[in-house]
Parts: sequence; C-alpha cells; structure tokens
Amino acid sequence: MDQVPEGTYTIMFLTREQEKILAGEYGWARSKALEVIVKVGEALGAERLIEVEHAHVSGISYTNIGDAGLELVQDFYRGRAYARVYTTLNPGCVDLLSYSQIVDNRYRDKQLILNRYLEAMGFRPTYTCIPYLHRKPGPGEHLSWGESSAVIFANSLFGSRTNREGGPLALSSAITGYTYYYGLHLLENRVVEVSIAVEAKNKCYGALGLWIGYNVKSIPMIRGVSNDISGLKLMLAASAASGDHGLIVIEGVTPAKSYIVSDKVEKMYVEDRDLEEYIGVEPSENDKVLGYIGCPHLDPREFFELVDKIRSRGKSAKRDRDLLVSIPAVYSNLFIDEIHELKRYGVDVAVGTCPIVSKLREKYDYLVTNSGKAAFYMSRLHGLNTYIASIDRVLEIVFGG
Amino acid sequence: MYVFRVSTVVVNGSCRGRAAVIDDYISFFGEVDPERGVHRVRGKRVADRVLVFRGSRGSTVGSYIIYSMKKNGKSPICFIVSRVDPVLVAGAVLAEIPLLVVEDFDSLISTVDDGDLVEYCSEGGVIRVYKT
Repeated sequence: MDQVPEGTYTIMFLTREQEKILAGEYGWARSKALEVIVKVGEALGAERLIEVEHAHVSGISYTNIGDAGLELVQDFYRGRAYARVYTTLNPGCVDLLSYSQIVDNRYRDKQLILNRYLEAMGFRPTYTCIPYLHRKPGPGEHLSWGESSAVIFANSLFGSRTNREGGPLALSSAITGYTYYYGLHLLENRVVEVSIAVEAKNKCYGALGLWIGYNVKSIPMIRGVSNDISGLKLMLAASAASGDHGLIVIEGVTPAKSYIVSDKVEKMYVEDRDLEEYIGVEPSENDKVLGYIGCPHLDPREFFELVDKIRSRGKSAKRDRDLLVSIPAVYSNLFIDEIHELKRYGVDVAVGTCPIVSKLREKYDYLVTNSGKAAFYMSRLHGLNTYIASIDRVLEIVFGG
Repeated sequence: MYVFRVSTVVVNGSCRGRAAVIDDYISFFGEVDPERGVHRVRGKRVADRVLVFRGSRGSTVGSYIIYSMKKNGKSPICFIVSRVDPVLVAGAVLAEIPLLVVEDFDSLISTVDDGDLVEYCSEGGVIRVYKT
C-alpha cells in the first residue's frame, strides 16, 4: 500500500463498545486486533470504524508467511479469537487432495497446522481466491478483503466496498467485525478519472489487464469490452497485480451508483500493438512448458467448460508439456469425478492452492497461461518465460493440435 | 545532546538504547532475518537497537516478520521513522514496539550514527540523541 503523507495522522472517533474492546474487556485477541485496525486507520487519516459483512483473509500460505505468520495465528487462536463475521480463507501452499505432482507439498504439515488454527477460529475452509463463489457480496456492502484479485472483482463487478487489505488487517477484521472507514469504502473516493477505449481486436484479457496496471494510475472506466465475466475476471486480476488498482469501472457492468465520474476525464485508448509486449512470445518445441489455467481459481462453469475441452481432445499431454489446473477447496467434494477424469488425461489438478503461493517440484522454461496475473508473478517468483494465450491455445500447446 | 520533536506517536512506550541507522525504506519480508535480528542487505544488527529508518515498503508479510522478531527476542526496541505505512503500523502494534514519526527526519538522520545513545520517554514529545 502507499506511503502515508506526513501530517494526515488523525485520532479516530470510537464508540463506547469499541473502546471496551480496545481496553481488553473481551480479551487480548480482540483488543489487539482492533488496535491494529485503529492504528492503521489513524495512520491513513480515517476518522471512524465501520462494520463489515465479510472478511476474506489472504496471506495464509505457509510458503509466504512462514513461522512468523504461523506464530501470530497460533497466538490469536490461543487468545480465544473467533470470527465475528463471515470469513473466508485464501489458498494455502498445499494441494489438499495430494494428487498434484507439480505443486510441492513440502510444507504440508506446517500448512495443515495453520489451517487447523484458522478453522478452529470459525473461518471457513474455502482456500480460494474467489471468495465470491461462497458468498456473493451485495452493492454498497462493506467488506474487509485481502487478495487483490478478489478485492477488485468485488468493487468492480458487485459494486461492493473494500480496500486492498494485507493479511494481518483482514485477519483483524475477521476477529472484530470492523475495518477503518477510508479509501474505497467512501463513494467520494470511487471517482473515474480516465476513460479507456479498448480498440484491440485480440481480446487477450490477461494482457489487457497487465497493460492497465502498468499504464493507468487513477480509476479508469473501460469501454469496448464484452460482459464476459470470465474475461473480465482475468483482466481485473492482472491489473491488480501489475498496478495497485482496487476498482475499475466496466461500462454497462459495474453497478450504477457504486462510483462517480469526474468532471474532467482523460481519454486513453489501447490497440493490439500495445498488448504485444505483455502477451510474450510462444515457446519453442524444445522448451519445457508448464501450461496453467486457474488464476484466479475457476468457477464451476469455467471448470466444466475446461473439462469438456480436454475430454473432447481425448489426448494426454505431450512430452515436456504439463498442464496444471487450480481450483477452490470445495471442489474436492463436489467435483471429485471430474478431477479423476482430468487425471487420466495427465492433467494435474491442485485443490485449494495455486503456484503463486506455493513451491513447484520441477523447473520449467516456460509458463503458458490465459492469466496475466499468473504470468506477472510466476516470471518473478519462479523465473519463467511467459506467454499469455486463450485457453484453447494453451491446450493446443500442451496436448498438440 | 541533540533533541528532535516527535510529530506522531503511533505506538507509545519509553525506550533507551543504541541506534542502528538505515537511511532507506526497509522491506521486512526478505530484507530482515527475524531469527537473528539482522538487516541482511546491510549486514547490520537491529536486535535490541533503536532502529532509525525511513519507513517500510513491500509485502504485507512484513508485519508478521516484525512480530516474529519480537517473539524470538531479536526485535528492535523502538522504531523511529519518517513515514508510516500499514505494514509497519500493523507489525509495531502486534509486536508492541514503540513507533515514532519524527518531524525533521532529514536532520535526525544526518545527526545520528550507529551506536549513538537514543532515548524517548513515553509522551515526552521529543527524542534525545547522545553522540558517542
């Protein structure tokens, strides 16, 4: 998040009930959690707290947070912290079905300890970056969500209100039911200042999202994209990865009254050639390629479409070509037959995790994916060359034409 | 002795100790080893020191790292900064480490060196630097 300009520090107004929580009348955990929210809010210049309907806690992958994060979660658990609101959890670092040969399960024991503490505090074992699969937030509803791709989806497609929170803050909101009233919670900060006409013919949403993140600094309104939710999900996730966007207004999709349009709107447009550098170059026959679909995690319709496509090809992956698919934890119950079917085609399905928050067993030269966000992070975390393509093209590269 | 006015007390508390000075922003995640209490990039010990630095940057895991340093007994005894961000604030609150914003940080950082004695009395409004 941004550095705070000097001189914005305010002392927040607290209700009597909030004062009591802070004073420790309800125990150490709630007091400490509320103090985190109050102090962060005061540092940003927030004047009061608001209640949230749903917290989504990110930063729970043991690969990322290590013993440091595990200790804090354990201390909250031992301090009798309990979810005060509906709380969902982001992916951890292990495949919960233990089928994946691609995702390294070396931290399985540590992750499962972490998961036990989180679930014992009443958090739902969703282990997904698409918490809106489990609970769709309403327009104007206040949320405290971590996971930038989920935040931007909630703000832009549902008209809900959440900032891009870090793990500790969303965790604190889960335990207290509050967040600080600031940023995208206020309509006056949800102001469109730039209008982007998408003139590119190649609707490569992953690359388009990366372009927006890199090139647009204020809140944009996007014109000329379809209302294909799967495409928009890819675009929004990518723009929240390469930039610090929390809201992108999609003409005809974003609920009215969830944003304001400034009097002065700058105009920009994006063409096919602007996207080329983000799309990347196709791998050669000799490269060891990881195909990857499921960033963000697939919703049921997306999952079934993918299963159909792979089934109708009827082939297994070529030599030096793997395909990884990552899906929410709940699918290990709901769609176990489909997961087994994909396995028979040599497709590696990882449940409740993803390669961005975990380690990989093998080295690859190339990542081929429909996700701009995955390309952005995996080039950095795993040192891969990347190529962004449609799902059909990813499957062609992995299985052959 | 030099005196610097504190503009904001984010986490209150008294402290007295030797300074560790890093004239930069620190990403606690990656740059700091919470087991040894060392800033890896500078090879500088920050455990049991009054850490004078510009502020924090980078991953929100940084808050957990600060908490972990404290649990390991390897944390700084106080943070003195130019600016705060949510990662540093959350970490300092959780670890109960005093976090102070100094009004004229540039003159502080040009005055204070590693090993100087720095003290702050709770609610005192100023930090004092004693050159060694």
